[in-house]
Amino acid sequence: MTTTSPDWIADITMEELEQNPYPFYERLRTEAPLAYVPALGCHVASTKEMCKRIAGADDGDFEGVITPAGRRTFGDPAVLDANGEQHDELRAMVDPGLQPSQVDRYVDGLARPIARRYLEQFENDGHADLVAQFCEPVSVRSLGDLMGLQSVSSDKLREWFRKLNVSFTNAGVDADGNFANPDGFIPGDEAKAEIREILDPLLDKWTVEPDDSALSHWLHDGMPEGQVRDRETIYPNVFVYLLGAMQEPGHAMASTIAGLLTRPDQLERVIDDPSLIRRAITEAVRWTSPIWSATARRSTKDLTIDGVELPAGSVVMMSYGSANHDENDYDGPSRYDLDRTPIPNLAFGAGKHACAGTYFATEVVRIGLEELFEAIPNLESNTDSETDYWGWGFRSPLEVPVTWEV
Amino acid sequence: MSDTHEIRISTLEKSTSCSDDQPVLESFLREGIWLPHSCTQGTCGTCKMKVLEGEIDHRDSSEYTLTPEERDAGIALGCQATPRSSLVLEPVEQLDPDDGVVRHPLKDVTGTVVTLDDIARDIRRLVVELDEPMNFNAGQYAEIKVPGTDVTRQYSMANPPSQTDRLEFHIKRTPGGIATDGWMFREMQRGDRVELKGPLGDFGMNTPQEEPAILIAGGTGLAPLKSIVQHALADELAPQLYLYQGGRTRQDLYDTEFFHRLEQQHEQFTYRPCLSEQEWDGATGMVTDAVLEDFTSCKGLSAYLCGPPPMVEAGVKALKRRRMAPRKIFREEFLDASHTAAAVS
Repeated sequence: MTTTSPDWIADITMEELEQNPYPFYERLRTEAPLAYVPALGCHVASTKEMCKRIAGADDGDFEGVITPAGRRTFGDPAVLDANGEQHDELRAMVDPGLQPSQVDRYVDGLARPIARRYLEQFENDGHADLVAQFCEPVSVRSLGDLMGLQSVSSDKLREWFRKLNVSFTNAGVDADGNFANPDGFIPGDEAKAEIREILDPLLDKWTVEPDDSALSHWLHDGMPEGQVRDRETIYPNVFVYLLGAMQEPGHAMASTIAGLLTRPDQLERVIDDPSLIRRAITEAVRWTSPIWSATARRSTKDLTIDGVELPAGSVVMMSYGSANHDENDYDGPSRYDLDRTPIPNLAFGAGKHACAGTYFATEVVRIGLEELFEAIPNLESNTDSETDYWGWGFRSPLEVPVTWEV
Repeated sequence: MSDTHEIRISTLEKSTSCSDDQPVLESFLREGIWLPHSCTQGTCGTCKMKVLEGEIDHRDSSEYTLTPEERDAGIALGCQATPRSSLVLEPVEQLDPDDGVVRHPLKDVTGTVVTLDDIARDIRRLVVELDEPMNFNAGQYAEIKVPGTDVTRQYSMANPPSQTDRLEFHIKRTPGGIATDGWMFREMQRGDRVELKGPLGDFGMNTPQEEPAILIAGGTGLAPLKSIVQHALADELAPQLYLYQGGRTRQDLYDTEFFHRLEQQHEQFTYRPCLSEQEWDGATGMVTDAVLEDFTSCKGLSAYLCGPPPMVEAGVKALKRRRMAPRKIFREEFLDASHTAAAVS
């Protein structure tokens, strides 16, 4: 199959995709919405329609799977990789605390003091990099405290998601289908060893002294009296959380600010009217989708879709970041526009594997931005050069330097 | 003969009957059911509602304020839309039934002109003695009907809300304007009868606040702020009040003696008139620049602004530059007849 790829697809490299995946995917959307990409060793779905069609067939023609690099990073059974009854059980472990009615109960008391605390550290400086000083710390601290990881510093949590990210997106394969860069997994392995070292004693404690932390619930909820959930079931999903759920609300917050900074008039309107923040976030995660191309499906049988043959077991990457730039739904998709018709996007995925933390993440971002705009309503971009974005699996601005009068 | 329909808000039990030529917002306000609204002219969008059940007529709702997408999503402007059937509605802006503010029902009142004085260049003070009292909150406005026409004009009450039977308005002449040049600055005289309805609007300081307040007025934007200042001082609503009044020259300022006297009587009140085109012994320059000069930080303060849109916009910018939280900035913009016509056409 690899021999049939046209040159422009066969020649694309991981480095090019990580720098800027948009031009390649724009061409895929037009010429090959479902295509085999040799550098990734799998197919990719690049249009909104193709992503919805494939992700919508969960537990039918397709099932959830993570890329080989993802499985190498998380281990088994990660919720992204599980299907059928096993997937239902894992979702039953993680979902309850993330239901909107539950989130509404705790999220303000959780995230708002955290946002205020980080703001107090720099609000009188007159300048900041909001990614490092606000978006990421607020994101990791909110989820960290929810999980029960109060004793782990925000910097350590950020270090963990960075290392896991490097490992998870180390997707490149050689002609034989082996990992092109095996050393790329070292940082992730180091992080996982450290995580287990720190979490094991905490899990020991929650085993005998349950509390209201998410991880304590993971141990006990739905288990027969006197038993706790096996750690080998818990850890792969802890890694999923420590990467995706720690990193992505911060990315969404950073993209929202970066997007608004490209439209100062719209930034001003959102600062003046915080009720627009939710809409600003929705447009930001469409514009620069944090989970750009990090989830996948596998065909459960031989299929032919729009003339593309997919033998049973074929892996298809869901390129939601590309689907959210689909010209059929979005005019000038690379432009951030608060006033764009709010056509639903796929930033949080689709099908049975759609993000469990959609509401939690959006609420943390909303609260963070409310506090930021309240404390610093005179926020301005600190640079005339363009903001640098990085990533193909996960994508976000590397820095959001801003300035204000104090 | 028009039909009437029963309309209600989904979260409230009380309903009201609304005729098919009456905007739904007006019907609710008359019944004493307060809903978020501001301009009642179809330009600000504060009164947007979602139609959960029934059919409405958007009437003159402009596509600028209410986009085709919003119409498709069942959103309507409460101040414009009329019912075609019984309705269940839900305001887009959340209702906070426990905000501690007493709201007064909208009603029609009549009265007699008892004062009509020239007080500054092209500005008159109009005082109407009402036949029956009208309750309102400081900062709200009334709609005065131009006799013999369907034309109405909105003017903020300048008297404190404790005074419910004599309403004071500040009228700025609009060259060629039907209400001002055609009536209030020409034929109107003491003893004339006036029809009006009120109160309307959501601008004002209605509950005690812990933070000091900056009030910025441009032209007759002073009217609602005069009401707010008197009310806030009488009821001790704020620890400190700073009133800025802007005009081009001395001829544009009015009520300066009144406010200077008030300043002497109340330690917690500061009055700063400011002229942009004339040197004098007071502050000069744009009124918003005077605020910037006086305050190095506005963090933790609140502000109330009323005046022409460019002044309000400059004021909001200045206050944010001094890091006032946007949710603490309250504004009322003049929308003269030409503006309204442009916005709804």
